[in-house]
Amino acid sequence: MTPNLSVIDSTLAALADPTRRGVIDLLRERPRRAGELAAAARMSGPAMSRHLRVLRAGKLVEESHPENDARQRIYQLRPEPFDALQAWLEQVQQFWNGQLDAFKAFAEAEPTHRES
Amino acid sequence: MGAKIMVSIRLKVAPAVAFDLFTQKVDDWWRKGPKYRMGPQGRLRFEPGEGGRLVEIYDEAAGELFEIGRILVWRPGERLVFEWRLPNFTADQVTEVDIGFAAVEDGTRLTLEHRGWDSLPPDHPARHGMDDRRFLLINARWWEDQFEALRSASDE
Repeated sequence: MTPNLSVIDSTLAALADPTRRGVIDLLRERPRRAGELAAAARMSGPAMSRHLRVLRAGKLVEESHPENDARQRIYQLRPEPFDALQAWLEQVQQFWNGQLDAFKAFAEAEPTHRES
Repeated sequence: MGAKIMVSIRLKVAPAVAFDLFTQKVDDWWRKGPKYRMGPQGRLRFEPGEGGRLVEIYDEAAGELFEIGRILVWRPGERLVFEWRLPNFTADQVTEVDIGFAAVEDGTRLTLEHRGWDSLPPDHPARHGMDDRRFLLINARWWEDQFEALRSASDE
């Protein structure tokens, strides 16, 4: 259950930017070309390239080329970092589950606190 | 997307009572592990009202405390929202805990949402020489200790 912390680190850093979160949302639907992503974000190619570089570095996306065109770059999501983040959030959830269990036990144990 | 968690629990006390116990008695029910890393074993306290704080107090007389976060919404019996920062967060690195107290037939449904895990700034200048990895690693250790403490407590 212990998540890979460096993966979570780069995942959170990559997701800290709204443009990059938008890219992730678009790629969730299907793989897309870099130009398509730039147009959707109303952004220049180089500006989008910088964001895609961060996403690649965080291993949230990977790029490939269509067989017939080596210059084209197509981006798609990699599921692994999201799985790791999910595991992290499950730990946060366990933490609060434990705290709320403790609170419930406390609140219900005190007769004077009970609703009459 | 939104990196957040939600937890819900039913309590056999009325919402107003649940809210008061949750806030006024937080130090009595809050679980603290042996390796709790927010510092020394301080006392937790909600300062009532919006603009108040959730603090961990180490030495009341000396004024030694850590501010976990500001209270953003304080509606007794209904809703409590407060910021949640760990000691290694800088002032603008904040997650949020949002708790609803809803009346149900035999008491209260308490719903807790902890959100903002996907909005931690990646490279804040005032990081005090601490890079992202270390920052998150320390947070993660803190949480892991929390869970370890919970597990050992539930094993007893």
